[in-house]
Amino acid sequence: MEGQQKLKAAKVLLVGAGGLGSPLALYLAAAGVGTIGIVDFDVVDFSNLQRQVLHTTADVGRRKIDSAATHLRALNPEIEIQTYETRITSANAMELIRPYDIVIDGTDNFPTRYLVNDACVLLGKPNIYGSIYRFEGQASVFAPPLGPCYRCLFAEPPPPGMVPSCAEGGVLGILPGVIGCIQATETIKLILGNGTPLIGRLLLYDALEMKFRQIKISRNPDCPLCGDSPTITGLIDYEQFCGIRGEESPAVSESAQEEVSVSELKAKMDRRDDFDILDVRNPEEWRICRIEEAILIPLGELAARLNELDPAREILVHCKSGARSAKAVELLRASGFASARNVKGGILAWAEEIDPSIPTY
Amino acid sequence: MPTIRVVLPTHLKTLSRVSGEVVLELDGVVTQRTVLDALEAKYPMLCGTIRDHVTKKRRAFIRFYACEQDFSNESPDAPLPEAVVNGSEPYLVVGAMAGG
Ligand SMILES: [Zn+2]
Repeated sequence: MEGQQKLKAAKVLLVGAGGLGSPLALYLAAAGVGTIGIVDFDVVDFSNLQRQVLHTTADVGRRKIDSAATHLRALNPEIEIQTYETRITSANAMELIRPYDIVIDGTDNFPTRYLVNDACVLLGKPNIYGSIYRFEGQASVFAPPLGPCYRCLFAEPPPPGMVPSCAEGGVLGILPGVIGCIQATETIKLILGNGTPLIGRLLLYDALEMKFRQIKISRNPDCPLCGDSPTITGLIDYEQFCGIRGEESPAVSESAQEEVSVSELKAKMDRRDDFDILDVRNPEEWRICRIEEAILIPLGELAARLNELDPAREILVHCKSGARSAKAVELLRASGFASARNVKGGILAWAEEIDPSIPTY
Repeated sequence: MPTIRVVLPTHLKTLSRVSGEVVLELDGVVTQRTVLDALEAKYPMLCGTIRDHVTKKRRAFIRFYACEQDFSNESPDAPLPEAVVNGSEPYLVVGAMAGG
C-alpha cells in the first residue's frame, strides 16, 4: 500500500509519445503513477503503428498527445494526464520539466536528447535514458552527481545523417518495447526507492544476437555540464550544437579542398578520370534532369546505403544547388570516404555553365 | 596468434558489410591501438568513423569497452585484458544512437 501511495504521488514527464514513449506510458499508467506529463507535437501516422502501440489505426491523423490521453485514461481513469502539444525547446524546457520529479527521454533525435539531458542536469532531475537503432538499444539513468550525464558518455553527437533516425533507418518494431519497458522499470524503481538503479551503468541490447551487455560508465570530471568546473550553465542552441542546418540553406564551405566546380567536373569527365558522381537528390528531381553518369542515392538513404559506394574511389557529390550534397560530403568523410568532394552549385550550375540543354526546376 | 573479437555498432556493421562479430588475427601486443589498426586494415571504410583520420583519437560519439570496463579514456597503447586477448570476451565499440 505504501508503494502504491508513492506511485500515486509521483510526477513523471515523458518527452515523446513515440516508439519508446508508447510502452512507457502504458505501463506507468497501469502501475498508477499519479501524474504523467506527455510532451509531443506530432500526429499519428500509419507508419508509426508498427511500434507505437499506444496509438491505433483509428487514431491516424490525431495529435499523439490526444490519442495518448484517450488510451491512458481508458486504462486508468484514476490518474492525471497532462499533455503539452509543443516541441520541447531551449525556450520552454525548464518550465516544462520543473514541476516533475522524473523525466523520461523518449525522443528520437540528438538535439532533443542533449536538450533534455542539459535541462535535467541543470534542474537536478533524474533522466531515464533509452535509445534505439535498427536492432540495437541502449538504456541508462543519468543522475549526476551519483553518476554520469549523457554528455559524459557522448561529448558530441555524430555528424548529421551518420546514424539515421528510426524513420529513415528503420527499426525492429518490438525493440522500443524492450527498451521502453526497461525505462519504465527504472522509473518505478526510482519512485519506490527499490533495488539498484541503472545509474553509472549503460545497458546495451542486441536483438539479433539476443544479448544484453552492461558496462560501467563514470561521471567525467571534465564534463562541461556536470563536471567539476562546468562551462554550460544554461541551455544552448542544440540544432547548432548538433550541426543541423536548413534543407536548402547555402552550403557551408569548410575548405576549398572539399569542393569542385562544375567545369572541373566536366574536365574530369572529358579526361575519363577514374571517379564516381553521386547524386543525392530525390528520384522526382532525378527524373527532371540529371548527369547521366551519376549514381542516385537520396541524402536520406545515404547512411544506410554507404555499402553501395567504394571508399577507395574518388566521389564527387551533387544535388540541386550544393546544400544537401555538402551534408552528404560531411557524412561521407566522417564515414571513411576521404576523397569525397562537393560539386559547387549542383545541377543548376551544371545546367547554366556546361549543359544548357537540360531542363531545370 | 591472438584472435580478437570486436563488436561494432549497427551503423558500422552496415558500412563494413559484416553481420555479428568481427574476428581479427593479431600478432604482438594486443592494445586498443593494435586492435583498431587491424580493424581498419581489414575494413578500410571504417577509417575515420571510430578514430579521427589524422590524430587517431577516439571520436566523441564513440566509446570503447571490454569486460564491462570503460577503456575509452585509457592509453591506446596499454595492453587489453587477458580475456580480450584470448578471445573469451569481445572488445566493444559503442556508438551514440538517438532513435526512439
Ligand atoms: Zn556530464
